[in-house]
Amino acid sequence: MADFWTHCLDHFQGILTDQQLNTWIRPLAVEVESDKVVVKAPNRFVAQWVKDRYINQIDQLARSYFEQSYPIELIISETKAAAQANGRPAAAAEAAPAGPATPARAGGQVVLDESRLNPLFNFDNFVRGKANELARAAALQVADNPGAGYNPLFVYGGVGLGKTHLIQAIGNQVLANNRRSIVRYIHAERYFSDMVRAIRTKSFEDFKRKYDSLDLLLIDDIQFFAGKDRTQEEFFYTFNSLIESGKQVIITSDTFPKDLEGIEERLKSRFSWGLTVMLEPPELEMRVAILLNKAKQEGESLDEASAFFIAKQIRSNVRELEGALKRVMAYARFHQQPISVELAKEALKDLLAVQNRQISIENIQKTVADFYKIKVADMYAKKRTRNLARPRQMAMYLAKELTNMSLPEIGQAFGGRDHTTVIHACRKIEELKGSDLTLRRDYNLLVQVLTG
Amino acid sequence: MRQLILDIRPDAPPQFDNFLPGQNAEAVDALIRFAGGQAAEPLIYLWGETGSGKSHLLRACTAAVPGGVYRPGAPLPESLPPLLAVDDVDALGPEAQVGLFDLINQAREGAGRIVAAGSLPPARLALRRDLTTRLGWGLVFGLRPLTDQERAAALRSRAAARGMHLPDEVAAYLLNHCRRDLPGLLATLDALDLFSLSRKRAVTLPLLREFLQQSG
Repeated sequence: MADFWTHCLDHFQGILTDQQLNTWIRPLAVEVESDKVVVKAPNRFVAQWVKDRYINQIDQLARSYFEQSYPIELIISETKAAAQANGRPAAAAEAAPAGPATPARAGGQVVLDESRLNPLFNFDNFVRGKANELARAAALQVADNPGAGYNPLFVYGGVGLGKTHLIQAIGNQVLANNRRSIVRYIHAERYFSDMVRAIRTKSFEDFKRKYDSLDLLLIDDIQFFAGKDRTQEEFFYTFNSLIESGKQVIITSDTFPKDLEGIEERLKSRFSWGLTVMLEPPELEMRVAILLNKAKQEGESLDEASAFFIAKQIRSNVRELEGALKRVMAYARFHQQPISVELAKEALKDLLAVQNRQISIENIQKTVADFYKIKVADMYAKKRTRNLARPRQMAMYLAKELTNMSLPEIGQAFGGRDHTTVIHACRKIEELKGSDLTLRRDYNLLVQVLTG
Repeated sequence: MRQLILDIRPDAPPQFDNFLPGQNAEAVDALIRFAGGQAAEPLIYLWGETGSGKSHLLRACTAAVPGGVYRPGAPLPESLPPLLAVDDVDALGPEAQVGLFDLINQAREGAGRIVAAGSLPPARLALRRDLTTRLGWGLVFGLRPLTDQERAAALRSRAAARGMHLPDEVAAYLLNHCRRDLPGLLATLDALDLFSLSRKRAVTLPLLREFLQQSG
């Protein structure tokens, strides 16, 4: 372990000035665990600098040194020496920043400490509404009295409704109340893969001890345990041990505990011991509030009319709602225009298009035939009367505009016609679009129908 | 006897500066900032039809970031590299979908960045909902294919890069007689160049016709 870090220092000594080395590299503490290399930075500035400039080099050094690939975890923590001096695990001592949580950002991203909590998920920015009133109230109670009342707290609801935000807000609140609490947030899938890795690397006892020593365990999307018997068994023991010693457990799932499939009965019944609360899809007003809140967080100005427009389009879940807002903000920034309903419409045009833009020639023929009230078969027929020829030309032109087919392929699809017929059709429609208002309107309508 | 050609001119690796943005300037701008670590958002999802430039842009992103990894679908890495590009998400099997789900969660926790691409917007992908909503949570761009004029410009620039003279009527013929997705067109152009070299004849309309006839 020490040797690896000496190896790193040697490397950096060769390429950095003394001042750079003392400022950014020497303050780091590095620990090689069974399955990863943990790089601890004393504060978020060092973490950001290291992540931007040196972490890839450390990664490469680890690869060549150990002759295998280790994930590198960069965390903000006490240095190794300081942690040993006060005898506490580094995670618990540094996990909670004092005052309002400020996430450390490196390369524009949040760097998490060992609690794995994202400080951006707090109660202040959890938008309230009818859909989450009860769940929020329960969460606040648990945050102020962990382990004392509702244990476990079981939060369920559909995808993208804020389960992760709510339970991480509890974690952040618990840490803000008592920075010595040992908190860990983990997604069920990650818990499973960490456990598998621990078994493989013979560090299972450490894994177990880590979970048994927590004050608060937040485990997300427990439905991912389905069919994983060994994981369920281990989790069963950890769960019992934590509950028995008055430690808080918080679980989320996409369904009510009894409806979980592939989960042992004894676990399901235990999940119902405490309080089970549900998150529902947000109503329109709440969706608007979520958008306004999110825009404020990002320092963007968003008027209510635009927020209403976006909220009306995206109904199902908060994630896609936030995605739509990001898209609108990015569009406004790129075009250097303020956000308005018109701009939001333009920015979301593609996203909202119900119709796939990969349009088939059969679909074009059918749509055009329906539009001009002729039979689809007339598209392939040899007849050349004007009332059939014009729709056929329109369909050929649309096929050229809206598909990637070659002109001979298009001709083939129209009763084996020559590609020169297709060229003629395209020229004809192009010309008429300039002179014939009705035809231009027909064309626009057909494009709209075909592209949604 | 026909001249044998030793093809020692590998195509330029996909990068941002050899991508023709067409109507996708906003997406390209966002991707450049994303790859350069200047964007707060750790996830970008691109969708569009075949030939609209998704794979090129994904590869350009990974080429711009040391340790960047490009995966054309499964298998996906277990832990997140500094930048992971996942192409063709439509084709991910059940296990790989859980893998990508987990990687997106890691990206949200600050472990790295993900750029993914598929043929449809997130909400319409036939994948698990908890994955599609996560893809839709990031910055999403629909890519528009190039217009015929832009395709002709791309052909000219590729020809120039190969040191090949491409008469306008040959470019026009290619656009009217071949599949018009850009990778297909460029591949035809490359093959035509080799054909002209092996025949020791300049690129002309008759040569192109002969080439198309022979290549069926």
